[in-house]
Amino acid sequence: MNLLEVRGVTVTMGVQEILHGVDLDVPANGIVAVLGSNGVGKTTLMRTISGVYRAKSGTIRLAGEDITGLKSHAIVARGLSQAPEGRQIFAPMSVRENLVIGGGRHGLAELDRVLALFPKLGERMGQIAGSLSGGEQQMLCIARALMAKPKILLLDEPSLGLAPKLVKTIFDLVAAIRAEGISILIVEQNARAALRIADRAAVMEGGRIGLEGPAATIAEDPRVVEAYLGGHGTAA
Amino acid sequence: MFDPYYLQQLAIGLSQGVIYALMAIGFTLIFGVLNVVNFAHGEIYTLGAFVGLLVITALAPPLLVVVLVVAAVGAAFGVGLERIAFKPFRRFSDEASLKSRAMRESTLMSSLAVSIVAREGLELAFGSQMQTLPFDQLINKPIALGPITIVTGDVIIFAVAAVMLIGLQWLLTRTRVGLAIRAVSANPLGAKYVGIDTDRTIILTFAIGSMMGAAAGVLVGLYYGAIFPAMGFVPGIKAFVAMVMGGLSSIPGAVICALLLGLSEGLATTFISSNWADMVAYGFLIVTLIFFPQGLFGAGRERV
Repeated sequence: MNLLEVRGVTVTMGVQEILHGVDLDVPANGIVAVLGSNGVGKTTLMRTISGVYRAKSGTIRLAGEDITGLKSHAIVARGLSQAPEGRQIFAPMSVRENLVIGGGRHGLAELDRVLALFPKLGERMGQIAGSLSGGEQQMLCIARALMAKPKILLLDEPSLGLAPKLVKTIFDLVAAIRAEGISILIVEQNARAALRIADRAAVMEGGRIGLEGPAATIAEDPRVVEAYLGGHGTAA
Repeated sequence: MFDPYYLQQLAIGLSQGVIYALMAIGFTLIFGVLNVVNFAHGEIYTLGAFVGLLVITALAPPLLVVVLVVAAVGAAFGVGLERIAFKPFRRFSDEASLKSRAMRESTLMSSLAVSIVAREGLELAFGSQMQTLPFDQLINKPIALGPITIVTGDVIIFAVAAVMLIGLQWLLTRTRVGLAIRAVSANPLGAKYVGIDTDRTIILTFAIGSMMGAAAGVLVGLYYGAIFPAMGFVPGIKAFVAMVMGGLSSIPGAVICALLLGLSEGLATTFISSNWADMVAYGFLIVTLIFFPQGLFGAGRERV
């Protein structure tokens, strides 16, 4: 069964339609990668799933329940968390406070489990979040989302602006998070890295899903190789 | 060598400063979360005083009950104010529009409009002249303290301000609600992603800030013994100056600056006519804007 089902979602901003009927599935305990260049609507899709934007039409289901039009806090409470684009951490607050807030009604119940994935954060609990390095801030952002005990985690460009070594660390973490039984929907510019860990992948073009299929198939599709993987050579 | 007169003036200035501080706390709290100036804060203070008058004339309950009732009504006014003057302009939920210039300017006007309506409404209902509060309820029994004399109100107002400030710090650092308020203040979009009900948090912030403003109003009314519909204007300006001097979003900074402001005014009246004492506040504001554009305690924040 699919944990997350997006059906025919359209989103408009003012008079402009940004998403023109997007369909997307995330199976339970799966990793789905959404690829695509800037401005095709990836972040809009992620924000709409999290309830920050309103869908004009279409439905979004989480574990069978219709969550279309619910407010963002109600969606988080139902088990869908997001580490959003631009991290959006609470910079003037301490790492611990960021995690407590992320925990919501669970408080610090998930702390040990989360710190096992992010041991570095454990050393910086008292530090002000804004003073962390970029990589640490990204880890805090993901850790904060995990504190809410989600069934599915949405990651919007987690590797953006990070050094190559850190990118690998982040993707290893994503695989480790899935190993804990959490489904993942990831939006990435770094197609090569995303396809390596994903089960399925979708390519967005101009506000719709152009291609969709098993990650290995998508990685060998000549159009994807040409546009996102830098020409010839193997993808993975 | 040291004239007790100056000590007396300092004591008067300090209690004045504490009153400004009570106002400034609510002002700064609301600014911190929404990045907007709530021009109706002075009217919440006035309404608090008038609600106090009604409660006292009707029931004459003990002071603590008066303050609690006024605080509760003040919280309700705060919620109403948010619904009328702020919520309608919050149509988009990303941080760019939540803290945008357009949002700031439109709510500046709408809160000013609400403040005018409230003030004129009070004038229609009560008249614009002074209303006196029952004498036996006033908090101005003198207390001799060595060479100087203070009144019970000085002590009460100081105690209430201290309790509110400490209570607020506790709320903001130790409770989930307080953390949510700070999270919305730091990053409203991020707050949505972690499951904070931002609308509810903003309403709550208004309720808390207005509660404090209304309590300040009734205490000041009982301190001076007279209230009038325009009484909130001057303390509102002083609280605004204290907030700007304190760096806009620092509550302790605003409190310290409010105390400084009160003390300076108290001392200034020694040397200049009390009619000119308001110049001190405006002078401080200008000096702050020119020499400390980030406020005295606002390190790392955008310019005032």
